[in-house]
Amino acid sequence: MGQIELKNIGKTFGQTTVLENLDLTIKDGEFAVLVGASGCGKTTLLRVIAGIGPATSGELYIDGEEVSDLEPGKRGIAMVFQNYAIYPNMTVKGNIEFGLKNNKVPKAERERLIAEVAESVGLTEYLKRKPNQLSGGQRQRVALARAMVKKPKVFLMDEPLSNLDAKLRVQMRSELIELHKKLKTTFVYVTHDQTEAMSMADTIILMNKGVIQQQASPEVIYNDPNNIFTAQFIGTPPMNILKMSNGCYLGYRPEKVVLTAEENEVEAVYKKKVQIITREMLGSETLYKVRYEGEKEEANTFMVKSVEDTFGEDEHVWLNVALENLYFFDKGEMRIRENDNAEDYAACVECLKGE
Amino acid sequence: MEQKKVDKPKKVRTKRSLSTKLTPYAYTMPAIILFLVFTVYPMINMIRLSFYEWNGLTEEKFVGLQNYNYLFNLQVDFKIALQNTLVYTVSVVFFLLLFALIFAVWLQKDSKINAMVQRLMFFPHLCSMLAISTVFSWLMDEEGLFNAVLSFFDLPGLRWLNDSTTAMMSIVIIAVWKGMGYHALILLSSLKSIPTEIYEAAALDNTPPVRKFFRITIPLLSPQLFFMLINITLSSFKVFESIRVLTKGGPGKSTIVLVYYIYEYAQSNLKYGVAAAAGVVLLIFLAILTVIYFRLINRRVHYQ
Repeated sequence: MGQIELKNIGKTFGQTTVLENLDLTIKDGEFAVLVGASGCGKTTLLRVIAGIGPATSGELYIDGEEVSDLEPGKRGIAMVFQNYAIYPNMTVKGNIEFGLKNNKVPKAERERLIAEVAESVGLTEYLKRKPNQLSGGQRQRVALARAMVKKPKVFLMDEPLSNLDAKLRVQMRSELIELHKKLKTTFVYVTHDQTEAMSMADTIILMNKGVIQQQASPEVIYNDPNNIFTAQFIGTPPMNILKMSNGCYLGYRPEKVVLTAEENEVEAVYKKKVQIITREMLGSETLYKVRYEGEKEEANTFMVKSVEDTFGEDEHVWLNVALENLYFFDKGEMRIRENDNAEDYAACVECLKGE
Repeated sequence: MEQKKVDKPKKVRTKRSLSTKLTPYAYTMPAIILFLVFTVYPMINMIRLSFYEWNGLTEEKFVGLQNYNYLFNLQVDFKIALQNTLVYTVSVVFFLLLFALIFAVWLQKDSKINAMVQRLMFFPHLCSMLAISTVFSWLMDEEGLFNAVLSFFDLPGLRWLNDSTTAMMSIVIIAVWKGMGYHALILLSSLKSIPTEIYEAAALDNTPPVRKFFRITIPLLSPQLFFMLINITLSSFKVFESIRVLTKGGPGKSTIVLVYYIYEYAQSNLKYGVAAAAGVVLLIFLAILTVIYFRLINRRVHYQ
């Protein structure tokens, strides 16, 4: 129903090229999250799909039909904006009804649809209110209802939760997941928040500087990153990365480290004597910042996350990482996987033993 | 509990010395004095004078409501002035808002030409009405530029200010020309402050352009339009300079307006009492208008 296909999409603003030769397929019914730092082109991509910032080159298909030159209102999509963009001069009902009226939906049908949508987002008793009499969360629901009532093939959402307070954000997050389950339509959701991406997405599309870094499920993107950018973007704190003597990079996640007081307490390929510089006790876990023994003061530090809170500041301990938790990246910062590049992988493991 | 909280500062206030209490009044005293001397006193004096007969030289003579009787029953020229003022005001308000809106929408796109046009359009606002009137008296001369343009297109020339049927229209044209740029700029800046997402949402809602303009743009401009409506109405009610320079109320009585009527009765006819009574009527009109505007239209205006 709502598969989105982008072929060779390019987008330039004057002299600046934001997207170039971009190919992307978002499957029907998928909850796809576009994530990346600000300025990476994720919103631009969303606006290309919406048609409010159409592509300068390339083709866009929704539901198998080319829509590159179609008006935004005729693409069978609906969008929720970051600042909601609800019409301030209309009532809640007027806002929801506006698109239906434009599409010449008969009055009885309109009334039925509005009642149904208002009920499902909990706005029934606010239909006569003006937006300035609503709270942030309620405005968010109006924007959502306005999108839902059109029964679009695709929902586009541009950081819809970023203007809500932390508590409401978590609540709306699970409501959106439920909504997606209920509607079974394609969602394309833009955010800069990797936690939001991880918790909501079926598929994460991670972007950097207009290029898609990886498109995969949250599990894959976390456990099997394609490159250093992905490895460091997903996960808090980010993956520790250090350069090896052969020019390649070694990475390991802070939460996969085992800290021990003695050298041979656990089996591990990667063992380093470290000094704990700072310790942050967060309750369920403890965050350590460590520096490798024998390194200078200004040398890189690494993060370690541990469920146990056994060590204190300035203690000297052993850092252990098992082989399956080590990631290798080549000089171009791309991942070296054992399955498809056994030779380089072995070389990196060898190199590691020498260090 | 809450009452006690409210009481406390009151107690402190009563303990304050007299000088502390008077300080704010002392600071605002210059403004208050100016306001009393130049606004309140003349107003009261005008109301008082409207019950007297006075030519500026002789003793003032109390005549009760005779001056008002003179205005409304004995002479027709006050009613004509009232009617003319109404015609002028309605025309100026309508055409000024219309053209300001058209130009604001037209100049919305950022381009070098538009930036230049904006500055040029603001220029008439900076010129004095006196100078503009003088220039227009040449332009609207029967041998002037306007008629030259008309004859170029083989159209018959108009007598503009010299014909009782076109004189008021000519005065309106001048007022609209003078105010257009200023009001277009106000509208332009508020047009630009409308979030683009609103228009994008409208585009996604498949909104036809005309509907977008009337259902979104106009309502979102309504605070400014309302402000302009009040401003233009009040200033149009007080129109004087252009009339004084260009037509002196003529031809016949075709361009006599309220303020010009007052001026004429005070300065030429030396009937200060009648002039004062007309002033009172103008005052009442303006007061009523202001109240009506704020009461009625304010409800329909959307403020962001």
